[in-house]
Amino acid sequence: MTTQIDYHHLIQADKVHGSLYTSDEIYADELEKIFHNGWVYVGHESEIKEKGDYLTREIGRSSVIMVRDKDGSTKVHANRCMHRGNMLCNEAEGNKRNFTCPYHGWVFGLDGTLMDVAYPGGFEKPLSELGLQTLVSDSYRGFVFASFVQPKLSFDDYLGNAKSLLDRSCEMSPTGKIDLRGGWVRQHFDANWKMLPENDTDGYHVNYVHQSFVMAIDSQYGEFVGAEDSIKGVIKDWGNGHTEIDFSDGYAKTLDWLGSTPEKVKSYVDSMVEAYGKEKADKILYAGPPHACIFPNLFLGEMNIVIFQPTGTNSAVQWSTPMFLDGASELDFKLLRQSEGALGPAAFLLADDATIAERAQKALLSGDPWCDLSRGLNRETTDEAGVITSHMTDETSNRGFWFHYRNVMTGAK
Amino acid sequence: MKSVSHDIALELQAFVVREARLADESQYQEWEDLWADDAVYWVPLKDGDDPAKKVSHLYDNRTRIGTRIRQLKTGYRYSQLPVSGLRRVISNYEYSEEADGRYRVEANFYLPEFSSQATHTFRIWSGRFVYILSRRDDAFQMHMKKILLVNGLEPIPTLSFLI
Repeated sequence: MTTQIDYHHLIQADKVHGSLYTSDEIYADELEKIFHNGWVYVGHESEIKEKGDYLTREIGRSSVIMVRDKDGSTKVHANRCMHRGNMLCNEAEGNKRNFTCPYHGWVFGLDGTLMDVAYPGGFEKPLSELGLQTLVSDSYRGFVFASFVQPKLSFDDYLGNAKSLLDRSCEMSPTGKIDLRGGWVRQHFDANWKMLPENDTDGYHVNYVHQSFVMAIDSQYGEFVGAEDSIKGVIKDWGNGHTEIDFSDGYAKTLDWLGSTPEKVKSYVDSMVEAYGKEKADKILYAGPPHACIFPNLFLGEMNIVIFQPTGTNSAVQWSTPMFLDGASELDFKLLRQSEGALGPAAFLLADDATIAERAQKALLSGDPWCDLSRGLNRETTDEAGVITSHMTDETSNRGFWFHYRNVMTGAK
Repeated sequence: MKSVSHDIALELQAFVVREARLADESQYQEWEDLWADDAVYWVPLKDGDDPAKKVSHLYDNRTRIGTRIRQLKTGYRYSQLPVSGLRRVISNYEYSEEADGRYRVEANFYLPEFSSQATHTFRIWSGRFVYILSRRDDAFQMHMKKILLVNGLEPIPTLSFLI
């Protein structure tokens, strides 16, 4: 599909156009340029530990299978039989020795090879030409990303500074590994998918959207809703569309992010000190996990892993799971309850974010199309590495997302 | 597990019907008052999930129920501003008495929620309620209300009303 959408007009230095959220044309363009041609997060290797373990996910609107091959490697295949296009695998997860199509019984190996065709007497084509479409994929610390075509950006360049964000998540574990085995909550939004990453690294809305939360619940987020001068959290644009709210300078004490104390989780603290040494362990346990979005569809939601899935111009699904830590299973119960409290359709936090996004999705159809995104242009600072930092309530993070989005959609990246 | 008498079944049904009306009408305090101290208010992803191992849509103990009600009572919970239009239909009741003397009530529910906070559309909820009840004063108290959605493993919309 060729489109003549003028993204330089729609995304300006201090404002973006509402049609970016509501246009079917732009949505179709995104499915191609972002969700077909670029790196997209699929899953974590801890979700497919054994050979033959698989999960099915969507990249854009394309169903894919992520599988642990017989040789131990991770592969991502299009979830589509090469015969007549039937859905090869209807289950969300499991373990299989091969993928057999329910329509005509074609059998594909875990590596995608076409192994067997029923009634071969009527079929002349070489089976080697009809293996599953295997995506380009790569992984960093178990986080698997894939693309239908070799992206312009190398995997390393795409991740860029996001590598340090993924490192920080993994280093919450004494063995440096996270373990995603808690199951996935999926929350449906009647809103465009881009409102999800926008909201998740927006530090400006907390007092307002989450006023009821702050009033009813005593939590570490209460430390970030005071007078402008007293807020110590910051907002960051890490480049390549990766954005963050960094709360660490604002925490009152160590383990605030867990809602706990060193005495209550002594075994975890001890194993962290043993793994990292006291100085580094102290820093990690104070600063806590990142609260950061990896473009386009991954959110390191503190002690949760979150995925954004577009399902239409006006609809999206946010997936969430607690980020269990290898070597610290005593935290599992608390992480499950924290995850349920913060994320998902019944959560104290995200339920209200969904309503706000849904209201915007309607209101954006009327009147003046421009959305102001100028907060922080007067006070943000850029360091030598090009990372831009500003006050926690500033829109530096949102601009970071949009400027990279503009690069991708115009073919510049 | 043993069966219950017709009279007790009627009492249990009347309790469930009243609980449903309080939830439908967002009568937060009166609904909260129905709970016992060992309350479990639970919407698992699927029946049989172990809440110590698997995440749920909602898994509240008595304290968390209190937090939820307190948040709703602030008047600033946008996802229930205004409250959704709710009139659930409950049917297919099955009653039993457990070994410890508590009563178990299972029933099907159908709830077309009219969501008027943003979309002004109906959202369909359907599934099974499992209640564990015991006598308190001249009524009952809820030890558990488990809600098994038919689509619990699928994406579901905002669930901030009392289900």
